[in-house]
Amino acid sequence: MNYLIVTNNPAVTASKANMVFVEGSAAETLITVRDLVHEGYELISHPLAASLRMLFSPFRSVILGKKLAKVDDVSAVIIEDSISKHQRHMEFRKPDSAHDEDYKMMDLILLKAALDESPNLW
Amino acid sequence: MNVLKLEIGRIHIKDIQLGSETSVKDGVLCVDKEGLIAFLKQDERIKDIKLDVAKPGEKVRIIPVKDVIEPRVKVQGGINGFPGITAKQAQCGDGRTHVLYGAAIVTVGDIVGFQEGVIDMWGEGARWTPFSKTYNLTVDIRVAEGLQPHIHEETVRVAGLRAAEFVGLAGKDITPDEVLTFELGSIFAETAQYPKLPRVVYAQMNITQGLLHDTYIYGVNQANILPTLLHPNEELDGAVVSGNCVAACDKITTYQHQNNSVIYDLYAQHGKEINFLGVIMVPEHTTLAGKVRASDYTVKLATMLGADAVIVSEEGYGNPDSDLLMICKKCEKSGIKTVLITDECAGRDGMSQPLADTAAEAVAVISGGNVSHVVTLPPADKVIGNKAAISVLAGGWEGSLLEDGSLMCELNAVIGATSEIGFHNVTCRLY
Repeated sequence: MNYLIVTNNPAVTASKANMVFVEGSAAETLITVRDLVHEGYELISHPLAASLRMLFSPFRSVILGKKLAKVDDVSAVIIEDSISKHQRHMEFRKPDSAHDEDYKMMDLILLKAALDESPNLW
Repeated sequence: MNVLKLEIGRIHIKDIQLGSETSVKDGVLCVDKEGLIAFLKQDERIKDIKLDVAKPGEKVRIIPVKDVIEPRVKVQGGINGFPGITAKQAQCGDGRTHVLYGAAIVTVGDIVGFQEGVIDMWGEGARWTPFSKTYNLTVDIRVAEGLQPHIHEETVRVAGLRAAEFVGLAGKDITPDEVLTFELGSIFAETAQYPKLPRVVYAQMNITQGLLHDTYIYGVNQANILPTLLHPNEELDGAVVSGNCVAACDKITTYQHQNNSVIYDLYAQHGKEINFLGVIMVPEHTTLAGKVRASDYTVKLATMLGADAVIVSEEGYGNPDSDLLMICKKCEKSGIKTVLITDECAGRDGMSQPLADTAAEAVAVISGGNVSHVVTLPPADKVIGNKAAISVLAGGWEGSLLEDGSLMCELNAVIGATSEIGFHNVTCRLY
């Protein structure tokens, strides 16, 4: 496989290989993605969700592609913007732990949808 | 020769009640309660249905709202219902459709525990949602135990559409109070008629990223298709259905697809200030490759159509900001002017960078409002749906539940509050 999944979602680690598991928050997961992008990994999936509710999710999974010889500029800009956007959203919010199981499930389902989009290209 | 000609006959609804027959008399919509429940329970996946009504001004809160649908009936041409989902395949956008104008079907029900989406029928909350002004039939749907999430979502989505079909039949033999006509010929014919007017395409982005984040065109999940050209009448006539139910403020409900404000406004200017060529339906993918493909394809279609300008509307917030700006940059680079319609996450004071992405080319941008704006919703006399869902709103941050039972929440919890197709209550002012 040519991809790497960075996640803090235990439901994802249970079902997928090629994993970087982050023992921490969604914010820390995005930071890990940023560090890997700066090592040369390109972004395959966008680090942010498409809906506000999923932006509040305590669990986040992001797909990275191959490690390139140099940093992919587009990926670097997107992950930096995503981190600042995520921070702004979470400034006033408490972590929503009451719905952990549903958030884990949704993160996994949306990750699978992303993996189905065009897996042969990666 | 017109490609499609659609007549929308509006029957003005002034009240709604539950009874033993489905009819419209003097603007009062009566819904056969037991008949509708039996009709919906033909779907064996449904365990229980609770029907209720919510009228403008009542101290009623509806939560969590899944979708809003306008009840309609096809009286000439096409086929009744939603082709590809509740009815056989047929051409939408031609013939005559009667609309119970002022009525709405509001589906309610949890698919996941963190759902929000509130409609308040009175007070502060009512100011922010367009569905506080409609006479709402609420359809609260409980499904059989053990359904997979995808099947659960589909069951609730289809139940709402079928309810709209059932109720809409009441308008079949009623003379409408007003009739709107929408017709657009081929691109060649319209351009020959209005050779000097700028040619404008509407690119409508829809969330297409998986469970609770889907959009359907003639029943086809838009995630699986390339951007495609739609005649505007098709969307106004039931071809597009929402399967998106976690972005309350900026989700495009099925009702809003049926009454897309951008299409209405472009039609109103067609032949006057612009030559409206049609609608490109653009999927919003999760992967960057998908975003590049969809934006390239959109610009190519707009170029093939000879567009001078493209109006782009977004759905959702976060990763779709990238698609919006990719389309903008690529269009402008191709010499096509763009106007973007989005909403903002600009912090509680409205002063922060509003989108997750930026572009120097995005110089004409219309805001549908700030999703982070804080509103205070007083306690309701009656809650339709799941009272526990209110705690989802209250649980987001410190101090959100006040001593008198009022809730402070962000606009993002209110259905349709910051619509990115302009079907809502807020407006923009230049200072």
